[in-house]
Amino acid sequence: MTYAYLFKYIIIGDTGVGKSCLLLQFTDKRFQPVHDLTIGVEFGARMVNIDGKQIKLQIWDTAGQESFRSITRSYYRGAAGALLVYDITRRETFNHLTSWLEDARQHSSSNMVIMLIGNKSDLESRRDVKREEGEAFAREHGLIFMETSAKTACNVEEAFINTAKEIYRKIQQGLFDVHNEANGIKIGPQQSISTPVGSSTSQRNSRDIGSNSGCC
Amino acid sequence: MFGRSRSWVGGGHGKSSRNIHSLDHLKYLYHVLTKNTTVTEQNRNLLVETIRSITEILIWGDQNDSSVFDFFLEKNMFVFFLNILRQKSGRYVCVQLLQTLNILFENISHETSLYYLLSNNYVNSIIVHKFDFSDEEIMAYYISFLKTLSLKLNNHTVHFFYNEHTNDFALYTEAIKFFNHPESMVRIAVRTITLNVYKVSLDNQAMLHYIRDKTAVPYFSNLVWFIGSHVIELDNCVQTDEEHRNRGKLSDLVAEHLDHLHYLNDILIINCEFLNDVLTDHLLNRLFLPLYVYSLENQDKGGEQPKISLPVSLYLLSQVFLIIHHAPLVNSLAEVILNGDLSEMYAKTEQDVQRSCAKPSIRCFIKPTETLERSLEMNKHKGKRRAQKRPNYKNVGEEEDEEKGPAEDAQEDTEKAKGTEGGSKGTKTSGESEEIEMVIMERSKLSELATSTSVQEQNTTDEEKSAAATGYENTQWSRPFLDMVYHSLDSTDDDYHALFVLCLLYAMSHNKGMDPEKLERIQLPVPNVAEKTTYNHLLAERLIRIMNNAAQPDGKIRLATLELSCLLLKQQVLTSSGCIIKDVHLACLEGAREESVHLVRHFYKGEEIFLDMFEDEYRSMTMKPMNVEYLMMDASILLPPTGTPLTGIDFVKRLPCGDVEKTRRAIRVFFMLRSLSLQLRGEPETQLPLTREEDLIKTDDVLDLNNSDLIACTVITKDGGMVQRFLAVDIYQMSLVEPDVSRLGWGVVKFAGLLQDMQVTGVEDDSRALNITIHKPASSPHSKPFPILQATFIFSDHIRCIIAKQRLAKGRIQARRMKMQRIAALLDLPVQPTTEVLGFGLGSSTSTQHLPFRFYDQGRRGSSDPTVQRSVFASVDKVPGFAVAQCINQHSSPSLSSPSPPSASGSPSGSGSTSHCDSGGASSSSTPSMAQSPTDAPTTPEQPLPHFPDQLEIVNETEADSKPTKSLTRSADMETANLSPSLIPAPQPTISLLCEDTADTLSVESLTLVPPVDPCSLHTLTSIPPPPMPAVSCPVTPDKKAACVEPTGPAEH
Repeated sequence: MTYAYLFKYIIIGDTGVGKSCLLLQFTDKRFQPVHDLTIGVEFGARMVNIDGKQIKLQIWDTAGQESFRSITRSYYRGAAGALLVYDITRRETFNHLTSWLEDARQHSSSNMVIMLIGNKSDLESRRDVKREEGEAFAREHGLIFMETSAKTACNVEEAFINTAKEIYRKIQQGLFDVHNEANGIKIGPQQSISTPVGSSTSQRNSRDIGSNSGCC
Repeated sequence: MFGRSRSWVGGGHGKSSRNIHSLDHLKYLYHVLTKNTTVTEQNRNLLVETIRSITEILIWGDQNDSSVFDFFLEKNMFVFFLNILRQKSGRYVCVQLLQTLNILFENISHETSLYYLLSNNYVNSIIVHKFDFSDEEIMAYYISFLKTLSLKLNNHTVHFFYNEHTNDFALYTEAIKFFNHPESMVRIAVRTITLNVYKVSLDNQAMLHYIRDKTAVPYFSNLVWFIGSHVIELDNCVQTDEEHRNRGKLSDLVAEHLDHLHYLNDILIINCEFLNDVLTDHLLNRLFLPLYVYSLENQDKGGEQPKISLPVSLYLLSQVFLIIHHAPLVNSLAEVILNGDLSEMYAKTEQDVQRSCAKPSIRCFIKPTETLERSLEMNKHKGKRRAQKRPNYKNVGEEEDEEKGPAEDAQEDTEKAKGTEGGSKGTKTSGESEEIEMVIMERSKLSELATSTSVQEQNTTDEEKSAAATGYENTQWSRPFLDMVYHSLDSTDDDYHALFVLCLLYAMSHNKGMDPEKLERIQLPVPNVAEKTTYNHLLAERLIRIMNNAAQPDGKIRLATLELSCLLLKQQVLTSSGCIIKDVHLACLEGAREESVHLVRHFYKGEEIFLDMFEDEYRSMTMKPMNVEYLMMDASILLPPTGTPLTGIDFVKRLPCGDVEKTRRAIRVFFMLRSLSLQLRGEPETQLPLTREEDLIKTDDVLDLNNSDLIACTVITKDGGMVQRFLAVDIYQMSLVEPDVSRLGWGVVKFAGLLQDMQVTGVEDDSRALNITIHKPASSPHSKPFPILQATFIFSDHIRCIIAKQRLAKGRIQARRMKMQRIAALLDLPVQPTTEVLGFGLGSSTSTQHLPFRFYDQGRRGSSDPTVQRSVFASVDKVPGFAVAQCINQHSSPSLSSPSPPSASGSPSGSGSTSHCDSGGASSSSTPSMAQSPTDAPTTPEQPLPHFPDQLEIVNETEADSKPTKSLTRSADMETANLSPSLIPAPQPTISLLCEDTADTLSVESLTLVPPVDPCSLHTLTSIPPPPMPAVSCPVTPDKKAACVEPTGPAEH
């Protein structure tokens, strides 16, 4: 399947906030979330449709590489979008956002779209960080904000797709140089080879985004 | 059998709908695999789904039911995967398999499960499988798979990947083949894998030997070549740039170079000595010296060697020193840069090399003779040959290890003693491979050279050193580097080279791995060295010249260059015991500071925006002090300095464009030089920032509001909240208070905001209401200005509303004016009294009696920290504003009565008192400066300037002591004249009320108060013959209660 653009994302945040689960949840619908199974993945790709354009999202989890400065640095630089994830049931993960963000701002291009995600919104009873706090943090730092649940898939689509929309908007405003692959954006080949994993389901899912929003 | 299996399948289906996660379902899937060992068009989808489901069940099993895993192993199901893979089954299946493997290794939590998966070498077979790497998705999944595996590497698992006997380490060797893959994410993954491998290799000698002997040279030489090629491309990009069009590409290349340096540094800090030796050698001799350093010196000389331009070379070397702190590397590099005659050095070593070994041109930037892949192949074969006589090889390795232990220690000791890099250690350990032996020998030669020079140097005394650094005749060597440094700093056309030179000096002196002695030899001191008695005068002079240049109206010095100069100068002359700067240098610096004051004065205007700019510049300067590392990450400074913001280049890294930017620049230059000058003179900053956080009223402060002017109101916030509050306006702030339950007349502050950032608008259909918004100045460029208050205030009637509105509006103007006056004071400008301001100030003293608007002193805040001192109000009186007034009068009256030296002191006191009167009658003469001019002008127009700071301080002290001393009298006068805004904020606010609403009503009162003033003013007048007669001024401005100005003071007397 051919695509107009490829956007590279990275997922950042403390360990255990559910980054790789979010990634799998978004990129491969065949893995249904179930209560007694936690699966994550460090890399995933999926096609979405934005404004009638096929856009491929390629998402790289940076987990486990924080100890090497060169690696984090390069990851930030090579991405067009970043999902900054914290766990709403663990305040410390929220408290660390500032340093994550500092890193991201320092290393990334200024155009990188950063989405703040409060994950595990299904665990309302154990909530430790108020939604308003997340909103306030996002507002103060100029981020997009969402609460998601990788477990119930709530808002997962929206998180990734809204980020893509924002990147797409910036491309149209001419803020991104799409011919420069170092930005984490690539123009698609004329025709591509075949369907990516999970694309059949993802197509469906990208279509019914509108209907399942607002569950959180 | 068939039937049974069918029913079994059916059963599986039935179950799957109920419970996919179960052993039974895995059994069913196993069955599917056995039935579909060959991939066909028809069963492809089934197989993919089967493989996917197996993943899911395995992970589920790992987390919930271990029997699932047992079954998987028992049936050897991994073999099916391999089998499918080998059938060239196409992309679809490949991707699924890779995803499955990724998920398996990523999610398995039980060590034993992991070991099972890794045993039997299946994983290695998959690693070496030739996938279709042209497919970007397969490539991505494959490299992620390797990365996931590398993250699982530890002392136990490493044996599954590295086979000592066959010298196979597929995970590593397959990964590094992609080190220059065009896709950045792939390259990053390769680097991650290598770093993970190196980390583990520390504990595994055999593996370490393998990596060093079989892969290090090919990998590092290719890596170094790859980096160097990028550098040449980068240089091209700079050379061919027109109109800054290459900036996008340039910034990528720079970022790429930084990535590489950080990667190299990450390898070096793993601190695997074996590898570091090889890597250091390659970096030095194949890249840094031949390409970067050689280009420093041989710009005009031709030659075969590839070269880069001087700015690029300086820039890249700065990055090297900022990022890499590995002592042997940075010291060798610095040695050559600082002390070598580079061209000779180059030739000499080359000769040596040629003599010592047949291979020429070791220190040069050349392409590796064979590709990485081929080298690895060849080494592998060599390894295989070795493997046959394995015992031999093994013995060699072991011997070496034993041998190495003590030798290494000894080596380290001598290393420390000499303060240079380790001697010939490399030669001992490298007996195994010719290439390595050769390069390391070469390196040891270099280090010997370094040692010998440093030994020579150590005998020199400080003086000799200084002579060596400053004069040329005593030096044995010419110092091309220093010459180049001085030359670059001398350039008056622009600071293009100067910025890089300063960065390089900064980077070298801040490098943790650097041996301080190396730098001391050119008298470039490391920061925080306790004893230093001398500094590099030539350098200091040039730095000061840059500062002076920056303070010129058309100076071509960028702010970044100036800031760096300041940093370096401080580093040179500040010691823990004080500042060792020579008087003559300090004087020059003061000259530069003066210039900067003149420069800002030129832009100082009464315009509203000046204040905001002034404060904003101060904020952004203090909040974001220069980070040299960030500065050197910015590619834009590689292009010649430009002035236009259209390039998107950060303000501090270019020249100003237009008046606003020129103003900003002037302000910054002023701040920097002021701060530098204060620091070198060991004086604290007392006047900046204009608003200090600790002086402000804060939420939950408890204030004594007796006699304060309070207006009751209902505050409706944007989100619909509604509260009853009292509105109070302070000198700089408005606050909303509620009564303090414990003390009558006291209030608890519920909100406080700066008047200067406030906007007040009426509400169209409600004459009792006001909309009030207070914005907080943006703290970072990413945040939007954020309203800290956005509410509708409803008062009891429209009169109150109007009063409140006027107070707020006046308060805002007032607050801003006062700050402007403080700026004027900072710039040694004569205060330009605007009638309101001064009128207020004077009125204040009277107002204390009747008028509510007052400044809340810190001391009256219930919750305030008693340790916080405010010098201004230290003469704790019940009414601070009042106290000050009193003070002033006390001091001033003696000065008036006692005939102080008529001519000399007469003029200051005279001018002081005149402006007193002036301020009283404010509007009379347009400015006090006018009034002063007759007396002061004759001397020199400059004179008041130098006095000023001193006087300020004296005032502070005296008021703090509240003991009048002789010196005070003068200063006190001056203070009221010019400084009052900065020093006695208290009285002013009071005034604001007066002038406003009370103007008419109070005029009678004020008149009644006038009489006491007169005696005083008469005194002053008598003592001072010349101009502005308050008497005259009063009539001119009848509405100014101004007349009442000083009254309280004298009255008290």
